[in-house]
Amino acid sequence: MLKHTRFFVVTLFVFLALGFCLNSEPRVFSQVDQASSKLQTANVAVDQAFNAVFDAEKAGANVSSLLTQLNVAADDVAQAENAYRTGDSNTAAVQADSALPIAQQVMTEAQDAKQNASISQQNTFWSTISLTVIGVIVFVLALFLGWRWVKRSYISRLSEAKPTVNTQ
Amino acid sequence: MKLERYKLIFLIAGLIGVLIIASPALTGFIHFPSGERLSELYLLGSGNMMANYPFNIAVGQNNSVNVGVTNQLGSSAYYVLYVELKNQTDPFPNATTESPSSLPPLYEYRFFASNDQTWESKLNFTVSAATFSESQSIIKVLTINNFAFNANKPAEWDATDKTFTYKVLFELWTYNTKTSSVTYNNRYVNLQLNLTQSS
Repeated sequence: MLKHTRFFVVTLFVFLALGFCLNSEPRVFSQVDQASSKLQTANVAVDQAFNAVFDAEKAGANVSSLLTQLNVAADDVAQAENAYRTGDSNTAAVQADSALPIAQQVMTEAQDAKQNASISQQNTFWSTISLTVIGVIVFVLALFLGWRWVKRSYISRLSEAKPTVNTQ
Repeated sequence: MKLERYKLIFLIAGLIGVLIIASPALTGFIHFPSGERLSELYLLGSGNMMANYPFNIAVGQNNSVNVGVTNQLGSSAYYVLYVELKNQTDPFPNATTESPSSLPPLYEYRFFASNDQTWESKLNFTVSAATFSESQSIIKVLTINNFAFNANKPAEWDATDKTFTYKVLFELWTYNTKTSSVTYNNRYVNLQLNLTQSS
């Protein structure tokens, strides 16, 4: 009887231990996978946010405040990558998660900044062109009037001039 | 002076005047060649000087250097700076083929810098665990800015210099907006270290 009980206890222990191992191993893998996937998502979000900031800058927007915000997200991603390399998946996931909303917000703001900068740049362009055209017309007209005055005074000076006879 | 001369003067003055008046509009269409676009990567010792770099380091001893990057690419840039641990036999990045080292990065920085902006950061590092034999030392754990990395990097005893030589390598990578990927910028600096058993 005692032998049977001992066998039962040992078998139960083996089953429980095996069950725990089989149950916990996927959990560890899933934690690592989750952290890795979160890292990838955060990386893509920061990349896309930078693309939007870069486009806004090319359009003529002032992006210094956007870069300051994005630096916070980039630092979070770097810390997440570093934590992931040390095997700390939990910290990696948390840091990656904290980068995501900042990157998304920067992307939205950058898109707005790009739109505003494009409109402002277009307005500046057309006002510059208009002012240049007006300036050139006024200048050419002034030059033409000046030329006419010079020409008239030259001819009148020529006609008023008395002929002189050169004697040898 | 003849009338033709006056005409010539008016024509030249007119041409110069028109060019001056139109210059703000012309700058939008004419692009002058700009200087070389590059990124600077530098390493400074304590006190932000090109001196006092840590060299003889012992297990458990805290060391620090300052690393900096200046953006001269003409626009904002997204940088990734990888920190790697190298021994005497590990290859350096290849400047000719512009390829990075094959070493796995331990620590990394990610940051953005606008044009002409300089980014700088302090890197604290400690050899947290190492083993020594007569001919070899192994850095087991290298702690960088409070992250403990399992480095497991061996170095052979250099009988000539009487050192266990390691190098902390800093590799600069930049994000390429056209390919949407981070590529090696062909810039690296390294810090040579001699691991000693006691400080």
